[in-house]
Order: sequence, then C-alpha cells, then structure tokens
Amino acid sequence: MDEFPLYLIPLLPLCGAAINLLFGRHLPRAAVAAIGCTAVAMAAVLAWKAFALLEHAGPSGVLTASFFEGDWIYATEASGPSLHIGAGLLFDRLSGVMVLVITTVGFLIHLYSTAYMEDDPGLARYFGYLNLFTGAMLILVLGDSLPVTFVGWEGVGLCSYLLIGFWFDKEQNAYAGRKAFIVNRIGDFGFLLGMFLLFSATSTLKYSELGAADSMGALQHAFLGKWSFAAIASLLLFVGATGKSAQLPLYVWLPDAMAGPTPVSALIHAATMVTAGVYMIARLHFIFAIDPFVLAVIASVGAATALFAATVGVTQKPIKKILAYSTVSQLGFMFIGVGVGATGAGVFHLVTHAFFKAGLFLGAGSIMHALAGEEDVTKMGGLARRMPITRWTFLVYCLAIAGIFPFSGFFSKDAILAGAFAFDADVPGFPHWLGFAIYAVGLCAAFLTAFYMFRAYWLVFGGKFRGDPHTFDHAHESPPAMTVPLVALAVGSALLGLLGIPEAMIAHANLFEEWLAPVLASGHAESPHLSAGLEWGLMLCASGVALGGIFLARSLYANGISPTADRIAEGLPRLYKIVFNKYHVDEIYDLLVIRPLRAVARFFWKVIDGLIIDLILVRGSALVVDLVGRGARFFQSGDVQRYVVGVIVGTGAIVGISANWTACNAAPFEVTVAGADVTVHARGMSPGQVARPKNQQLEYSFDFGDGTGEGKPQPSSVGKHHYDAKGKKTITVRVRDPRWDTRSKESRTVVIPGVPAEGRGGVR
Amino acid sequence: MGERIAFWVCAVMIIGGALMTISRKNTVTAVMSLVMTFFGLAAIYTLLSAHFLAAIQILVYAGAIMTLFVFVVMVLNRDEVAPWALRGIVGKAIGIGALAYTIALTVLLLGSTPGFLASTRSYKSGPPPEGWGGVADVGNILFTKYLFAFEAISLLLLVAVIGAVVVARIPRHVEVAAPADQKPAAGQGGHG
Amino acid sequence: MIPVENFLILAAVLFAIGVLGVVLRRNALIVLMSIELMLNAANLTLLAYGRARHDATFQALAFLVVAVAAAEAAVGLAIVVGIFRNRHSTNLDELTLMKH
Repeated sequence: MDEFPLYLIPLLPLCGAAINLLFGRHLPRAAVAAIGCTAVAMAAVLAWKAFALLEHAGPSGVLTASFFEGDWIYATEASGPSLHIGAGLLFDRLSGVMVLVITTVGFLIHLYSTAYMEDDPGLARYFGYLNLFTGAMLILVLGDSLPVTFVGWEGVGLCSYLLIGFWFDKEQNAYAGRKAFIVNRIGDFGFLLGMFLLFSATSTLKYSELGAADSMGALQHAFLGKWSFAAIASLLLFVGATGKSAQLPLYVWLPDAMAGPTPVSALIHAATMVTAGVYMIARLHFIFAIDPFVLAVIASVGAATALFAATVGVTQKPIKKILAYSTVSQLGFMFIGVGVGATGAGVFHLVTHAFFKAGLFLGAGSIMHALAGEEDVTKMGGLARRMPITRWTFLVYCLAIAGIFPFSGFFSKDAILAGAFAFDADVPGFPHWLGFAIYAVGLCAAFLTAFYMFRAYWLVFGGKFRGDPHTFDHAHESPPAMTVPLVALAVGSALLGLLGIPEAMIAHANLFEEWLAPVLASGHAESPHLSAGLEWGLMLCASGVALGGIFLARSLYANGISPTADRIAEGLPRLYKIVFNKYHVDEIYDLLVIRPLRAVARFFWKVIDGLIIDLILVRGSALVVDLVGRGARFFQSGDVQRYVVGVIVGTGAIVGISANWTACNAAPFEVTVAGADVTVHARGMSPGQVARPKNQQLEYSFDFGDGTGEGKPQPSSVGKHHYDAKGKKTITVRVRDPRWDTRSKESRTVVIPGVPAEGRGGVR
Repeated sequence: MGERIAFWVCAVMIIGGALMTISRKNTVTAVMSLVMTFFGLAAIYTLLSAHFLAAIQILVYAGAIMTLFVFVVMVLNRDEVAPWALRGIVGKAIGIGALAYTIALTVLLLGSTPGFLASTRSYKSGPPPEGWGGVADVGNILFTKYLFAFEAISLLLLVAVIGAVVVARIPRHVEVAAPADQKPAAGQGGHG
Repeated sequence: MIPVENFLILAAVLFAIGVLGVVLRRNALIVLMSIELMLNAANLTLLAYGRARHDATFQALAFLVVAVAAAEAAVGLAIVVGIFRNRHSTNLDELTLMKH
C-alpha cells in the first residue's frame, strides 16, 4: 500500500506547470495544450488507480505517502511542545473523492480550454497557471496535516489571483484579482490563527493525531474564557472557510472573480477551489462537532448566504454573474449540510455541484464563444436551434441544480434539506426551531435557484434573439473539444445522484454516505433519521418548490422577457433596485473598510513616509552631511600652513591637558596659626587642575619641623599639628602625583607664639 | 660664571639667528642667519657635555644641509615682494595663540617651579661623569642597542637621495612628446 | 652649572620661532629652514634631558634626528626645485592644489 506513488498525483500537474511557465513561450501551441492536458490526465489516471486500491483496502484503509522523508517544519523548545511536521499525504475515502472530482472535472475543463483559449496569446501562461492550480488543489485535499493543506490553500489562492487577473491589461480584471486575494487573506488569517490554536492545545496538526482521543480531550477541556479551544479554533477555521468558499460576509470577491476566463470560473470558482472550505470542515468535522454552537453558526451562515445570493442571482443580467451568485448560494447549501451534521450530504452536494456548476459555466462559455463574448442574457435568445448540444446539456445542468428527480442535484440537495429539517440540537443562544428555520430558508433558496436558472435558460435559448442580428448570424455550435466535456459533465450531472439514493426510496442504496461513513462517522453521532413518510414528504415538497420555480420562470421568460416580469420589477422599484445592486454590499464595504484604510494609507504615505521619512530623515540627514561637509571643506583649504596651524592647536591641547594631569605643585600653601595649633592648607595643585580619578589623587605629607618627622602620605591637603614649644618652625609639604610619580616639595618658616594667655591671635 | 656667560651669549646668538631667519626677505641672509643659529646650538651642545653631537651639528648642519640650501637658493633666488603669508590670518592667530599657551605652560612649569624637574625620579644633580657624551659613549649605544635604528636611518638616507634625484630631475617625457615616427631613436640617449 | 630648565626654555622659544616661520612665511625655502629650526629645538631638548639624566641614549636619539633632518632637507629641497620648475614659483599661497 505504501508503495503507491501518491505524491505523483499533485506533482504531475506541477511539472506541467513548470514546463509551461518556464518554456511554454518557445513551444508550439499544440504542445502547450497537450502538456497541460496530459499532466492532468495522468494525475486523473493515477487518482482512479489509487481509488481502486483504496476500495480493496476495506472501510478503514488509507493510502499514505510523503514528498520527502523526515520533517518539513521542525522546531523544538527545551520546555514545551516540539513541532514536527512532515510533508505527508493522506488518501482516504474523503480526500479520494475530492481527488477524483478535481482530476476528472479538471481534465474535462483543461480539454475544453484547448478550444476556448485557442487564440489567446497567453496560452502557455494560461495552461501553466491552470496546472499549477490543479497541483495546489490536490496538495490541499491530499495534505495529511493542516500545514500541508495550508500550502495548497495558499497555492490555490495565488492561482485564483493569477487567473482572475489573467487578462491583466484591463484594470478592472486586475482589480478583481486583487480583491479576491485580499479578501481571501482575511480568511487565511483566521485559518492560521485557528491552526495555531489547535497546535497550542494539542501539540499536533496531523489530522490522524488531532482525531485521537487525547487531542480531542485537550481541545474540549482547554478553555479561553468561557469558550473551549475547540470552539474558538473551529470558528477561526470557519472564518478561513468563509473566505475561500465565499460565504457571508466574505463572499464579495467571487462575483468579481468572473473577470477571469470562463473555464477558470468553472474550475476554480465553481467546481474545486471554492469548495475547499467545505472540504476542510468535513476533514475536521470531529473538531467542529465538539461545540454545537459552532455548527449552528455554520449552518446559519450557510442558510443566510444561500438565500441572500439566490435573491441577487434573480436580478442579474450577465450570465456569469448569475452563475457566480448561484455558486455562492450552492456553497451556502453545502455549509448548511456540514453545519447541521449532515456532513456526508454536504460533501455529496459538493461533488454533484462540481459537475453541474462546472457544466453550467462551460455552457455559458460556449454561449459566449458563439456570441463573440456577449454576456448579457437580456440580449440573447433563440439559441436553441443554433447550439443544440449546448442547449440540451445546459438543460440537464439546470434540472440538476434545480433539484428535479432524478438528476443529481435532487438527491444531494434533498439530503441537505432533510438534514436541516432533522437538526434539532439544543444549542444555547439559538432557538430550538433553528433546524426548521434553516430548512425553510433552504427551501426558499431552492425555489429561487430553480427560478433564476430557468430564467437564464429561457432567456438564452427560448424566444427570439434580442441582440445584434449580425452576431446571431455568426452564432454556431462550439467545436468538439468544447462539446465533449459538456456532454461528459452532463452525464455526470444526470447520473451521479444515483450514488446517494435516500433510505426512503431504496434501502441501503446510499452508496456515497456509506462510502464516506468510515471517515465521517467518528466524532459525532449518527445524524437523526427521519421516518420514511416524512422523508417522502420533504422530497415532494422540495420537488414541488423546484417545479414551481421552473414554471414561474417559464411563464415570465419562455418567450422573451414578458411584460409581467417588467411590471413586477417596476411594481417593487426600491426592492428591485436594492437586490439588483447586490444589496450595496460592495459599497458598504467600500465605505466601512476600504475608504478608512485608504485614508490611513494616505496618511502614512503623505505624513509618515513623505514628510517624516523622506523629508526629515532622508533629506534631513543628507542636509546635515552636506552642511558638515561644507563646514569641513573650509578646513581642507590645500594651504599647508593652515594645516600646520591645526597641528599646533592640537599639540597645544595635548600639552595643556597633559600638563593638568602630570604636573603637581606643592606651592603655595597657607598656614593658619592659633596659639600652638597650626593648620596647613596645601593647594598642591597643578595649573588648571581638573578632577582626578579616585585612585590618582595627589598624596600629601607634612613635616612640621619639630622632630616628629614626616607624616604619612594622605589624600587630604589639610594638615594639622599641635606644637609643644614655641619658636621658629620650618614646615615642609611634599606632594606626590601617583600617576607619573612626580614629586614636589615646598617649605616655609613660621613663628609659633606659644600657648596664648588670653584670646586667640591668628597669624598667616 | 663663565659657563653662564657662555650660555647667554649662545642663547642670544640662537634666538637672534632664528628670528633673522624667519624675518628676512633675502633668502641668502636667512640662510646665513640659520648658520649662525646652528653654530650657537653647537656651542650650547658642548655646554651640555654633548661633544660628539656638537661636532655632528657643525658637520652635518652647518656643513652639508646649509650647503644644500645655499645651492637651492642660488638656483631659485628671487626676492619676495610680500614675504608674509597673511592668508587665513584668524586661524593663524589662533594657532599662534595655542603656541604661546604651550610655551607659557612650559615656562610656567619649568621656570616658576624650580624643584619641578628635580622632583622627577631619574633626575641627577651635578655634572655628568668624565667622557660622557663623547664619541665612544654615543657610539657604544648606537652600535649596540640602536643598531637597527642606525641601519634603518642609513637606508632612509639612501631612499631620500634617490627620491631627491627623481623629484628634482628634468622630466624626460617633455622631449619625447613629439610623434614617435618622426624621432625614431633620438630620445634614447638624450638625457643620461 | 646651568640648570637644565634654561636649556629647555631656550628650546621652547626656538621651537616657537620655527613654528612662526612655518606658519607665516610664503617662501617655501624659508619654511624648510624653519622646520630645521624646529628639529634643532627638539634636539636641544633631547640633549638637555640627557644631561639631566646622565643618559647618553638621548644623544644617540639626537644623532638619529640629525640624520632624519638631513634626509628631510634633501627631499624637501628637491620638491621645492621640482615645484619651481613646474610652476615658476615657490610661493606657498599659490600651491594649494591639495584640496577638495
């Protein structure tokens, strides 16, 4: 098992990317496309092979591999946990499904791109980025620890940025790319913080070790305030998921991301990358399940996003925008699924959505290809006959996303809605009817989904052409390289649902849930089962709602835009306007986030950088140097005699200072006579005495000339003596400078008048 | 007493000569005054019992160096219109002030404190022993303890001689400046 | 015997005169002579201290100073001759090329 070269699955697309990005410009265009497609095709073959191996390995079997032996990130501390992260890969039932979707759908989209991007001058760059994305996405899902996943997570973010701004010569596209990148960074920040928190509690980041009992216990019982580590970490990781998977409030980048080529939208912004958040939550479902509050938050956010995006989708005119909001909405469904505990259903919807949404985007690309880049559905119409393959496949996708039996969307969406209906976990802070509310919101969103998708369908294919007739004349079916993927995806969209037939229809036919059960079962309880009757009721309800949406769309748009549709829009002018303008979310963000940020940036630019750094620090220091130089230039006159003057002044200074240090001089000293007592004040100073260090004080010794001899050297310059007899006395003071061992001596004769009878006479 | 008179005579000779040296417009006069100073110094050296150095002073200074000066003066003899360099006079005044301060300090230390020098450790009162300062005495030190310095000085003198010749000679390239083909081999033997 | 201090003061004065000559005269020849004066003042100081310490080493040093002075005079005069040949002047005020 271990020998299977799992690492080749992400490495092959990465190699393709390296070849195309480095040498693609010098290769023929056919070779570029061939390399791009072959790399992914080989990865897909390997993935299917690995999948087959996994099936033989039994329910708990996994494939593991590593890019290299030993540690990738390694840090130890004397005390505390040590960090060992390998570059390991994990191919289990969950990541296996993801890998299959990515490589298979990815290959179809690569194939489609060969025709769609045929004439683009940046073909090598395009395929390089697309392969790079595929490799990064595979690393994301195959990573056996959060850091490895994060590498892929950042890699797909980078590729998303590169591909959204693929036609970067238009400022708008480059802006959309930046927006996607920056919004994603907010989410990534949450992801990182969550990761750190998990590590601080459990000392590991490997999925297999995180799921172990002791790690789970540590997460449950470590608290930060009243919140458990598990709850905070899951919420932070969920922030990361909202960024990557375009949920409220970080969804804003996804509609703008449609600036990229349409196959990119299909691959990255519909099928794979945006589902990374769902995958990550499914991967860590055991941690998210610790605190039901977190699950309730996820489900609520998902439901809100599903409904919100669906309403916006109803009013949009560019076909890619409709699909973009549809994607946001469907991602909301997936989050409902993982939030209400129906993780398997969420992942199932992820897979089916990957097929039909990729197909929808590719179909839209085919339509735009035929209409010379026209995006606005109100300027299309009557294309059914011109593009039969596109039309029929598009219809299949629309039925699938609307949730019509027996197309795949029916089964996956029904599983999610059933899970929501059954969700009655008692969560503090949420009402007990939360599950039902989410179900109702989901149903509304499903209705809107059916409506806007068929609105788009009929506006494109029904009625008469509303645009420039000249364009219509040139409209034609796309080449086989584009229609083959469309058909393949349509087949998948139609039939995949049969992998997840609910219990109520046929017992034990839910192959998908059963397949994932070993991975997803651990951690939380079996999702509550509804009675068969109730489940049938829910299915009928959902189907009815979907059919209602379709018929409403048909009555309004089947033959062009009916007057009723316009009247409804005019009847609710304010509501229509707000929804049409996407609830002004972009404008609100602009006002609340971007403008203050720009003001701060402007402040830093103008004041901190411009004034303080550039003017005061940079120019100021240059000015100081200049001034000093000008001053110093005065001294370098070339006039030798002035230099001599400098030498003299320096010499004078040295002599002056050293004279203060070296010379000591006992003279003059003062003698105060009071009767038989004398006090001698020796100055013992050198000219211009400066303060001396403590160990270099002058030493004084006094000889009072009456046979008592010379006193001991002392630091004090004051000597006192009492004479026994009067008469002339010679007082000698000796001073020694310990620094240079220079000595000096001074003598003076004084008259001692003897002990005075009365009073005191002072004589100098 | 005789010694004292000799000292003062020599001192006057030295100071007078020095002042003449720096104050004369005529360079020849200045050189001659310098010679007078050197003779005075030689006499002073004998007062300091440095007989060998007194002889050297006469030989090297008054004999060799002064001859050199006289030669150069003969080559470039021209009286100056304005002998005093008064440019940057403020800086020079400061320099002279510093000089005066230094001298005053020296004089203050030495003159006003009669015991100062005597207070240093190795000071010895009384005249030096017989034969001190003679050729034997100095030679003994020069060729034992300071042999390396002596040899280094001889090398320095050699370098100075070569350097002086190189700096002062008439540069040859002044003549060779003409195009090469016009004067094929004439430049070779021109100035040996 | 004349006190050593007298010689030292004499040397100081001689040195000061030499400095004045170096600083105040324009003629490069006179400046060189003034440098000789200063060197002689230094020699005189050395000899005075040598006498005070009864140490002939000072005389050896003075001998070396004389040799250095001879070398200095030779090179200095050569430079003056060279400069004169190039610039037709020994005026120090005009020889200020060594500047910024």
